[in-house]
Amino acid sequence: MSTTATLPESTEAPRRTVRSSRGLLGAAVGRSAQALVVIVLAYVLVFLVLAAIPGDPVSAQLDNPQAGFSDAEKARIRSFHGLDQPVLVQLVVSLGHAVQGDLGLSMATSQPVTQVIGAAIPSTLRLAVTALVLAVALAAALGLATRLLPEGRLNDLVRSLPTLFLSTPNFLIGLVLIQVLAVQLGLFSLVDSEGFASTVAAALTLAIPVSAQIAQVFITALDESAGQDYAEVALARGLPPAQVVLRHLLRPSLLPTVTVVGLVIGEVLGGSLITETIFGRAGIGMVVQKAVATQDVSVLLAAVVLSALVFVVVNLVIDLLYLLLDPRLRPSEVSR
Amino acid sequence: MSTLENTLPAPVRTAPEEPLLQVRDLSVAYGPTEVVHGVSFAVGAGKALALIGESGSGKSTIARAVLRLLGSRRARVDGSITVQGREVTTLRDREFLPLRGRVLGFVPQDPGSSLNPVRSIGSQALEAAALVPGAGRREEQEALVRGAFERVGLPDPQRIIESFPHQLSGGQLQRVLIALAILPGPTLLVADEPTSALDVTVQKQILDLLDSLRRELGIGILLITHDLSIAAQRADEVVVLQQGRIQEAGPTSSVFTAPSAEYTRSLQADVPGLNPDRFADLRAERDQKHPLTGDQRPVEPDGRQGADAQVRVSGISRTFRTRSREVAALRDVSLSIPRGRTHALVGESGSGKSTAARALLGLETVDAGTLRVGEHEVRAQDRRALREVRRHLQIVHQNPFTSLDPRFAVGRIVREPLDLYRVGTRAEREERTRWALEAVRLPQELVGRRPGALSGGQRQRVAIARALALRPKVLVLDEPTSALDVTVQAGILDVLATLQRDLGLTYLFISHDLAVVRQFADTLSVLRRGEVVESGEVTAIFDSPQHAYTRELLASVPVRGAAGVPGSPDAPDAPGSPGSPGSPGSPGSPGSTGPLPRAQELQI
Amino acid sequence: MTTAALTPGRTASQAAARRSGTVPVSVVVSAAVIAVVLLWSLVPGLVTGHDPAVGVPDDKFTAPGARYWLGTDHLGRDLLTRIVHGSASSMTSALVAVAIGVIVGGVLGLLGGYLGGWVDAVIGRLVDVLLAIPGFLLAVVVVTALGYDTRNAAIATGISAVAVFARLMRAEVLRVRTSVFIEAARVNGGSTLHILTRHVLPNALRPVLSLAVLQFGIAILVIAGLAFLGYGDPPPASDWGLLVSDGREHLLHAPWLVLAPGCVIAVVVLSVSRISRWLDQERNR
Repeated sequence: MSTTATLPESTEAPRRTVRSSRGLLGAAVGRSAQALVVIVLAYVLVFLVLAAIPGDPVSAQLDNPQAGFSDAEKARIRSFHGLDQPVLVQLVVSLGHAVQGDLGLSMATSQPVTQVIGAAIPSTLRLAVTALVLAVALAAALGLATRLLPEGRLNDLVRSLPTLFLSTPNFLIGLVLIQVLAVQLGLFSLVDSEGFASTVAAALTLAIPVSAQIAQVFITALDESAGQDYAEVALARGLPPAQVVLRHLLRPSLLPTVTVVGLVIGEVLGGSLITETIFGRAGIGMVVQKAVATQDVSVLLAAVVLSALVFVVVNLVIDLLYLLLDPRLRPSEVSR
Repeated sequence: MSTLENTLPAPVRTAPEEPLLQVRDLSVAYGPTEVVHGVSFAVGAGKALALIGESGSGKSTIARAVLRLLGSRRARVDGSITVQGREVTTLRDREFLPLRGRVLGFVPQDPGSSLNPVRSIGSQALEAAALVPGAGRREEQEALVRGAFERVGLPDPQRIIESFPHQLSGGQLQRVLIALAILPGPTLLVADEPTSALDVTVQKQILDLLDSLRRELGIGILLITHDLSIAAQRADEVVVLQQGRIQEAGPTSSVFTAPSAEYTRSLQADVPGLNPDRFADLRAERDQKHPLTGDQRPVEPDGRQGADAQVRVSGISRTFRTRSREVAALRDVSLSIPRGRTHALVGESGSGKSTAARALLGLETVDAGTLRVGEHEVRAQDRRALREVRRHLQIVHQNPFTSLDPRFAVGRIVREPLDLYRVGTRAEREERTRWALEAVRLPQELVGRRPGALSGGQRQRVAIARALALRPKVLVLDEPTSALDVTVQAGILDVLATLQRDLGLTYLFISHDLAVVRQFADTLSVLRRGEVVESGEVTAIFDSPQHAYTRELLASVPVRGAAGVPGSPDAPDAPGSPGSPGSPGSPGSPGSTGPLPRAQELQI
Repeated sequence: MTTAALTPGRTASQAAARRSGTVPVSVVVSAAVIAVVLLWSLVPGLVTGHDPAVGVPDDKFTAPGARYWLGTDHLGRDLLTRIVHGSASSMTSALVAVAIGVIVGGVLGLLGGYLGGWVDAVIGRLVDVLLAIPGFLLAVVVVTALGYDTRNAAIATGISAVAVFARLMRAEVLRVRTSVFIEAARVNGGSTLHILTRHVLPNALRPVLSLAVLQFGIAILVIAGLAFLGYGDPPPASDWGLLVSDGREHLLHAPWLVLAPGCVIAVVVLSVSRISRWLDQERNR
């Protein structure tokens, strides 16, 4: 297949022995430290951006003449929230507390932030996990179909689906699903937003654009593997084509696909904002929306940093998974 | 060995008059473009037939047509292919499947990419063994694999089975692939350039192995090669192809001793191994025009060298360090090149020859030793001095597909060094650019083209023209022809030899191809693991090599001192279709028209 | 048996267009779609005779038909007119977002990739952080800090795209930097600045620009999403996302109010990504 000249000098020696001195554990520790730095920096960044909001929620409430606070009371309450300090001092204090697991009080409701966020987590977790499972399944089906279906119109159609999925706004998908599934077919009630059918519909809304991203990478990777010499050699050896796909194309293609699954976690979390709004689910997305509306900085900060934490942890796990999937990256003592 | 014979189904012997493989009037077309035209040949049991041709000759396409690997919807195959007397072109895919592997075995070109990198050798071998009829149980399959590995001369089969492809050398991988190919007991092996990606010494071992399989198991071999010397030595019959047409066919001896086709004759003339004296006349004229003057002594055992030599390298060493290990790329290497002469650095991969060349250019630092070009000393740290040295010292890289900026037109590429060194007026630079293009025999019309619109040979000429533009005294030629076809190579070498005669250029010529070295160089150093094991006059070393390694190198060369030309690509470089890389000149390689891989000198 | 197991991954029409060297039909159609939308943005009055802000109360909730091609809303305003008048805002804001992403991300990637060392390390961490925060959430946070309007939504969208561009630019610079022709330019006496501006940047820029086209489509979606949640200009503006959001209340009896602007977004984004993919393939051939 590759009649491109492979010059003699490129094959004789083994390619590389990576990280032979560090090993899996060393790699894991290094990556974890890096991840921690990213989380702290994310906290700092979001804190500073939110500090740019003109005014603050407490003052907005206090300054309302109907509330009737005296100046001394106002000053006391502001100092309670630390709002009389310079921004950098506020940052250091709040980061110090956050490290110990204390995310402060909601500026809008004075509830502990951990409580506000904690109450919303189960709903979003259900939604996100269901969406991710659906997205991966859909992408896997699309990818394998491009290799297992014969060449032709149907195959071409499958190849064009990811672009279509990616181009459709998820709020449109959500509204259409509600219209068709809930209103016309009556499969679920709009009131019971946490029900199974409603959750699946919401997850599907999230999953369709996300699956498209995974599928695009998976299909490209399969195409790439299909052009490799080893695939042709396996076919020439007498392995039936479908087996060549499953045994030889699939595993090398998983490497880039797993990477993109890690990256789309962000899309799932970001997309939950719109999806939860449309389906009326009381998850993190709703909390964020409410926090934005009331300028509740502490809740917003916590929600964003939590999302970043999830993203970083998932990608950390995927990095390590990579070492298991690709023997070339494994520490090895054999060199020649 | 015994396991193999006991468990493998015996090859079906056919009547002697019935060849294993008979191809009649085979044509292959992609859409409206036909790339193979009416080709016929036959391979008998225990015989080897070589399909010879350059890029775009259709040889790989024919091999894939036989194995039905072309993809039936994209390629149209006409004509007849019979295997053991049975017509196979009319078979449906399902009916053809049992022939693959069990009757028709395949040995690929590049062992490094022909095994799945993320699966162990063992799992891939067992998968192949499971396809052998009758080998249902795991123990039987393991026995088959072990037997095959032993048969192809792989030491320590258990270690191989547990390895991943990246842990083995190219030679070992090719043995594994051959083992997997013979495992089901095929009657015919299709070997597509089975050694072009391997070092010469390994190349010989693999070809010997294929020979022994042919003799002992009676397997027929369809050998695809661009290397005439391999074909001459290993095949009973040859078919010479050019642009999808048979130019000549017949028994090897008659085709090589008395070629009837014009193309075969010119092809033969271009093979370095068959014509060691090709540039003798040019070099004689050069010696007359630029006689050696002054003290031009080569390096003596005590390290002294001629004071007037153009290039003097003495005692350079370089060690690469990574986290896990140290590699001594160069150990106390010395050499000197008289003005106007060619010195070759010869060695296999990892020998340090490219590191030495890059050190001379100041692209690589050295830990010890000095490098001098003319009156200048080369020090990689001193950028200002380096800039001055490089006016007189230029390089031609190995791979013309990566050494030219794809966004620059030819004229601008050649003029760039002149612009950067602010040589003369704009008009003078244009004039010098024209001169350089003329010197490498490129038509002036190409000035406005971009590299993408040129063939490999044309690109390499542009690279040489760029190196010439500053009128340097020394050129480092880093395997300048190893990515090119033989006929293209001959043209490039001719240009370089003529330039040396006319301009008195001094060349440092890096090569792993001994036949080319013999044609082209005056003196040579043989490098092995960073050390010079032997150096001296080319003729003296070829006549009586002193070091065992040099002897081994020379012995590995197929015919009359001819080394294999490495991996000639079926790249868009068909001799008949210059300047049309997009043309369907390389049907055997759909989508493989990308740049050639640049050889790595040291894999760290 | 007749699976596409090892065929090159191209559709039949792509393969045909590639052979003949012509532009595929789908690309031509996509370009036409973009041209039409650009025309809407530049001269909205050309396409429709209705007023986007003033409705005919008697005609409210008219279904799509001959008089109102895409129907009317609860105030009897022509939906097509509102979409056309909203296109300028939607297109410009997407353009602003992409420009921010390309310029800021491109410069960061170029510096990190070419200078290496601590500069690369610092930029690398910043990019890691921007990647770790889900893009849409980041956009929401930024727009909250800046204040709700379409211009700020565009800036926020641009900032959330910086990381993607920085990463691609850095990878491209690293790829080009190690090319043999860069070494050749160095041997030919090229200074760092010369190599960076004449060889590295031009060769690294193409893939970045084709990503920019793709990101234009994504920016339309993100900005529409922000508008849908009410973080863009308030009504009576008629940004596409806002139109969908307004139509939500009437989904049951006037579904066109959601479907029409939603589909316009989808078609425009689809066209943009088709063009981007074509540019990418052209580069690789």
